[in-house]
Amino acid sequence: MTNILTFCTASAQELPRTALEILAAGRQLGDKLGNGKVQAALIGPDVEEHGETLVHHGADEVFVASHPRLQDHEADVILGTLQTVVQQLGPDVVLFPHDALSGGNVGPRLAYRLGTGIVTDCVGFEIKGDTIRWLRPVYGGKAMAYMVASGPVQLATMRSRAFEPLPPDSARQGAVHTLEIDVGAISSPVSLVERTQEKMEGISLDQAQIIVSGGRGMEDKEGFSALERLAQVLGAAVGGSRPAADLGWVPHSQLVGQTGKIVAPNLYIAVAISGAPQHMAGAGSSKTIVAINKDEDAPIFKVAHVGVVDEWQNIIPALTAACEEMLSD
Amino acid sequence: MHIVVCLKQIIDPEIPPHVFQIDPVEKKQIRGRQALLISDFDAIALEVALQLKEKVDGKVTAITIGAADAVEALHTALAMGADETVLISDPVFEEIDSFGKAHILAAALHKLGQFDGVLCGRQAGDVELGLVGPFLAEMTGLPCVTLAANMEPENGKMRFRRPIEGGYEILETTTPFLATITNDESNVARYASVRGIRKAMRTEIPTWSAADLALDPAEIGLETAQIEMEELFVPEREIRCEFIAGESGPEKAQQLALRLRELKLL
Repeated sequence: MTNILTFCTASAQELPRTALEILAAGRQLGDKLGNGKVQAALIGPDVEEHGETLVHHGADEVFVASHPRLQDHEADVILGTLQTVVQQLGPDVVLFPHDALSGGNVGPRLAYRLGTGIVTDCVGFEIKGDTIRWLRPVYGGKAMAYMVASGPVQLATMRSRAFEPLPPDSARQGAVHTLEIDVGAISSPVSLVERTQEKMEGISLDQAQIIVSGGRGMEDKEGFSALERLAQVLGAAVGGSRPAADLGWVPHSQLVGQTGKIVAPNLYIAVAISGAPQHMAGAGSSKTIVAINKDEDAPIFKVAHVGVVDEWQNIIPALTAACEEMLSD
Repeated sequence: MHIVVCLKQIIDPEIPPHVFQIDPVEKKQIRGRQALLISDFDAIALEVALQLKEKVDGKVTAITIGAADAVEALHTALAMGADETVLISDPVFEEIDSFGKAHILAAALHKLGQFDGVLCGRQAGDVELGLVGPFLAEMTGLPCVTLAANMEPENGKMRFRRPIEGGYEILETTTPFLATITNDESNVARYASVRGIRKAMRTEIPTWSAADLALDPAEIGLETAQIEMEELFVPEREIRCEFIAGESGPEKAQQLALRLRELKLL
């Protein structure tokens, strides 16, 4: 019997999509191993009511750790809480979403504390004998590696959108347990002084099914207004390459690439982007890539599925109009 | 204020895919004629340390684990403005995992003695696991701030600005600390001039071996790596780009919209 624990943090209002994605990953891993039980650790303030949703999306059991101190999602507090959960449940595998909290902090630190191996930013896995081989991109997506973690428990963080959430099945049954954890006693050497967060206008890069991205060839910030209009018509998010972000045409938070967001939308429209490796590391897993570039030898056309060779000024306004007309039918 | 920055030297990650080569037996990239560079986020971490040094009086020490040629990364670091550097190099360090690297860096920090903070890039630009920084924090027991973009001293403590979706956080901790560094508008790494690098090449760079760090090879997990690459391969990508033809921009745009609809993408 293999127990797979998926870890998610949530707020009372919102259960992130990645929580359902790693459940789908856990379910698939459990099924491949033949006799896996999928448990979900749900951590946050007043999050009990998400328990049932997790069951409907594939959890066999849910363990809730709820405490007001979890409100701010401070890494040290979450880490201490999860460490206790893992010690109590003794899972064989722990799956995390590869986000700033888990991939960048809690996952690796928990691995260290448990004296066990971890593989980060995985997009898949396979079972060989009794070993789980975690598949992940390396070298900015130019190569792939199968990695193996050893130790008393296996930890892995999963890239966003690598797994699709299972469709909810309201007939699924599973117990939702509440864990008694003394969250108040966990010390946090790092304190949160201030958090400023504006509600994002439009759709975030992580959630978008369509992304319109611009590069250095947009020539200035004005160029990005044209992309924003297209994005609005398509219900898309706007991204940018590193030169565009470094030049201040798009905020760094919208940077797609090895040093920015790694995205995998259904449709990625790359406008005036040459297709440098740094950018493709972030956009390369998109299902369909459309490239619009005036240079027919641009490397982007080597990775794009559909291409248009032209100045963006000749295409984008007309494309916006054509899509607007098409989508209003 | 003494800040230690941990750097990794990697093969230029910006080389195009057609010159990218791997050795599937050794499970690593083949360098060929490609340049060696300081990994992106590590250069940014150095930038953050240098910016702090410009604000308050201080010293920046750059350290790296690597073969003899990793000294080039330290020349670049000196040319960017680092005050001191150390190359940590020993043939026994070749096959270590992230735990082993954190172990070696912890020993190096111990040997350095006094410091106020340690910065690591968010992840290296080659294998991109992003583990050494958080492991090193746990191993040394230092407060751990992750994915910060810059820092400023405040009442004897250190304050970090950390970009988040749609905004930022300010985090505070006591010194000494460990922080992993990500990029934002404020910390684009400065260039090292060729002249600066040439000048730096005249600087004697100390090299520390396993013995200098009193490290027992058995202890740093050479035999017991817990994170191992079993297989490295370049995926086959058979993409043939379908070009949209047309007499004019608007015609191509119209054809593109129709094609996207046919592909059920719109």
